[in-house]
Amino acid sequence: MKKLLSLLLVLLISVSVFAGGSQEAASASSAAEPEWVSKGTPLADVRVRQALRYAIDMDTIVDTLFEGMAQTAVSLTSPGDWLADGLNEYEYNPELAKQLLEEAGWPKDYTLDVVYYYSDQQTVDLMAIIQQYWAAVGVKSSFRKLEGDLTSQLWIPPADMVNGPSEVKWDIAYAAIAALSESEFYDRFESTATNNSSIPYDAKLDELVQATRASADTEVQKAAFKELQKYISDNMLVIPLYHQIAFVYTSDRLDMKGNAVGNDQYSYEKNILDWTIDSPDGMMYTNCGPMEFYQAPNVNPGQFPYQEFLFDKLVNADASLNPTGGMLAESYEVSPDGMQIVFNLRDDVTWHDGEPFTADDVTFTIEFYLKSPGLNAVALNTFRAIKGAAAYADGTAESVEGVTVDGNTVTVTFERIDPNALLTFSQWPILPEHLLGSVNPVTAQQNEFWQHPIGTGPFKVSETVLGNYAILDRYEGYYRTGTGNIQRIFMFASNENDANLIKNAESGQIDYAFSKNVTDTQGIELLDNMTVHPVNIRYTRLFFVNEFPHPANIK
Amino acid sequence: MVNFIIRKVLLLIPMMLVISFLIYAGIELMPGDAVDFLLPPDALATMNPQELEILREELGLNDPFLIRFFNWLVGILHGDFGYSIQSGVPVSTLLANTLPATLELSVAALFISTLFGTLLGVVSALKKGSIGDNILTVAGMIGVAIPQFLFGLIMIIVFVFNLGWLPVGGRMTPGHEAFFQRLDHLILPAVVLGLSMTAGVMRYSRASMLDSLGKDFIKTARSKGLPEWRVNLLHGLRVALSPVVVLIGFRLPMLIGGAVVIEQVFQWPGVGQMFVAAVRTQNTPVIMMVAFFSVLIVLIASILIDIVTALLDPRVKLS
Repeated sequence: MKKLLSLLLVLLISVSVFAGGSQEAASASSAAEPEWVSKGTPLADVRVRQALRYAIDMDTIVDTLFEGMAQTAVSLTSPGDWLADGLNEYEYNPELAKQLLEEAGWPKDYTLDVVYYYSDQQTVDLMAIIQQYWAAVGVKSSFRKLEGDLTSQLWIPPADMVNGPSEVKWDIAYAAIAALSESEFYDRFESTATNNSSIPYDAKLDELVQATRASADTEVQKAAFKELQKYISDNMLVIPLYHQIAFVYTSDRLDMKGNAVGNDQYSYEKNILDWTIDSPDGMMYTNCGPMEFYQAPNVNPGQFPYQEFLFDKLVNADASLNPTGGMLAESYEVSPDGMQIVFNLRDDVTWHDGEPFTADDVTFTIEFYLKSPGLNAVALNTFRAIKGAAAYADGTAESVEGVTVDGNTVTVTFERIDPNALLTFSQWPILPEHLLGSVNPVTAQQNEFWQHPIGTGPFKVSETVLGNYAILDRYEGYYRTGTGNIQRIFMFASNENDANLIKNAESGQIDYAFSKNVTDTQGIELLDNMTVHPVNIRYTRLFFVNEFPHPANIK
Repeated sequence: MVNFIIRKVLLLIPMMLVISFLIYAGIELMPGDAVDFLLPPDALATMNPQELEILREELGLNDPFLIRFFNWLVGILHGDFGYSIQSGVPVSTLLANTLPATLELSVAALFISTLFGTLLGVVSALKKGSIGDNILTVAGMIGVAIPQFLFGLIMIIVFVFNLGWLPVGGRMTPGHEAFFQRLDHLILPAVVLGLSMTAGVMRYSRASMLDSLGKDFIKTARSKGLPEWRVNLLHGLRVALSPVVVLIGFRLPMLIGGAVVIEQVFQWPGVGQMFVAAVRTQNTPVIMMVAFFSVLIVLIASILIDIVTALLDPRVKLS
């Protein structure tokens, strides 16, 4: 109902603004040729881009369409330590939008070609609302959903990064960036980025992006990111819309012993072995069990909680994903210049099949990831920064020169600083060489291993009925015992939008669940036995704006 | 009769070939390919095209369409149904995991709907115009009109949340995997699916029964002085059943295809859910396997219908 009201509201706005705005349109027609004409697209004018943002009342959209379960974005970075103060919020101002468009000489007969690739109803509703907001300031737009090969339709950079023409065919692309680290948001703004299809070469911008990678000191990094955010915001290089929120649900049978709830799309210190559950058999019910396979970690290392239960990492991280200490590595040491990390591995770790965990598994895992397609950008940057990684990846070297083993010690030497190295080692698990050693990394997900994975984590796979349920049992050989009583984890198969969540929760069969679906939250909130924890997931929705001319807009 | 069956069975082969080709071509016409669904869109949005090419090459998606179809066909003839592109699991394993669940549910539902549908339809026709007939007619209309998911959710609210008699969904509770131990899981989905299918059978058999009761041979039977039950059951019902058999026959493919909506509502791990997921992700080997068997069952069902109709209705001769 709220959604319907919001749509009606927008319709009303648009009708009234249209009625009032039609007289003033004629006056500016005799002005000189607008500046952007030489660049081939009106979107090359910063005033047009700013006007498109001023025209959208994002706060109202968040309150109505998302029922408050999202956060208006002023930057790609979500509020917190890493967000610059004093950024222009571009608050809803249709009059200013109209004025900016007027000044820029917006061509009234032009129809913006807007693309998106999500098929959920919320996205479709959002697109319809924004179309109305733009129409209300005199900007026509048409929306279409992309099908098929997204990469080539969205992200191929032009051969000429100064003048174009564009390799992609849209004016505006609705997209999302899920960022494990800030660099995932901003690396793509560089003119040499392989996925920068929309922002022309700008020496100042390149310099600002490079500055974010210059140091391993987080304070220096923060300052650099904030300066970059300001530049992007002032020039409206992308139009940030909102930050998505995810939800963790817990039942009152579960006591997490004060451990924080965090971003469950990644791994963080949950100390699940200390949790207690009020149930005779120590069974904890959850969702996100495997539908077709257990997810291999290259693309998403921890999208589903089971990835964290089954696999340990070298380094542990807290709920905000800051590295906190060793995990499979009893201790580690980063050299003062940030160019070397020494991991001292635990000697009491075994895989779920009883094989001992060794330093060779670590070497193997780094090599395996280097050859895995679609490896997440953060991990890719870390592993590629290791000395000799390039030679290994292109096949000219047998092993990675920068990874050396001495007994239980693994030394990783870098060719260049990677500010996210510890973060990577806290998220990407170590994989068993004895089981995956002969598997082709390219099609690893299709290997039998991911039907019944063997890890080093506190729980092991006991029974899996794919697409139905799976059961994890506490691994008796784990190097910690903990103080809790959870013996088994029952997982209903689901993806991150779990259609059966409310039903299962109501029947008392959910103790800990994860979902990104806003409507689930409303249902769960009605249940007396459940608690909803909204969590920030560094997932920002935005419009990319194509500043290069393309066939449709070259006049 | 034997000649008829042999001829029909031989005809199956070219028909299967043509239909499989059409389905394969249909999948080919959808935009994109399986790789576009192997990874989430946000991950795809950050991958470079060369990496995707390597993946396509490894998965054998780069061969021309006809070669891929031919390879698939050769595989089928060798009894090799290929591997799921998404998970790498042999398609035969996938089917072995999901088909028993679907069979269990659909056989139960077919049984419920056939039994109750025919029975109530016949009663309704014999007592035409009575209160019972009117109630059944209204119930039948509601049964045909009500969406299965709504019916399913109402039943869950009543029998699971309010009465607490039955489990909310799934096919079994861990540790209780024998058929009789998991019978309680089957009741709700089978009853919901069965009852929603009953309505159709009931309406059909009522109309068909009324039709045959008005025929001349019924009058002849009556005039011969046969008792009423003989007239109705042996003469009337026998003929009235043939259109009902056609309806039920064409529901047989559901044995393979599953009941997608019911499987979703009751978290029933059947073929239907797998098939929908496969179509959404362009998982050609899985789609082809399910489609292949569904088509086969449709064709076999049509032969069966011909035979059963001939047996039931003395006026039909097979030639």
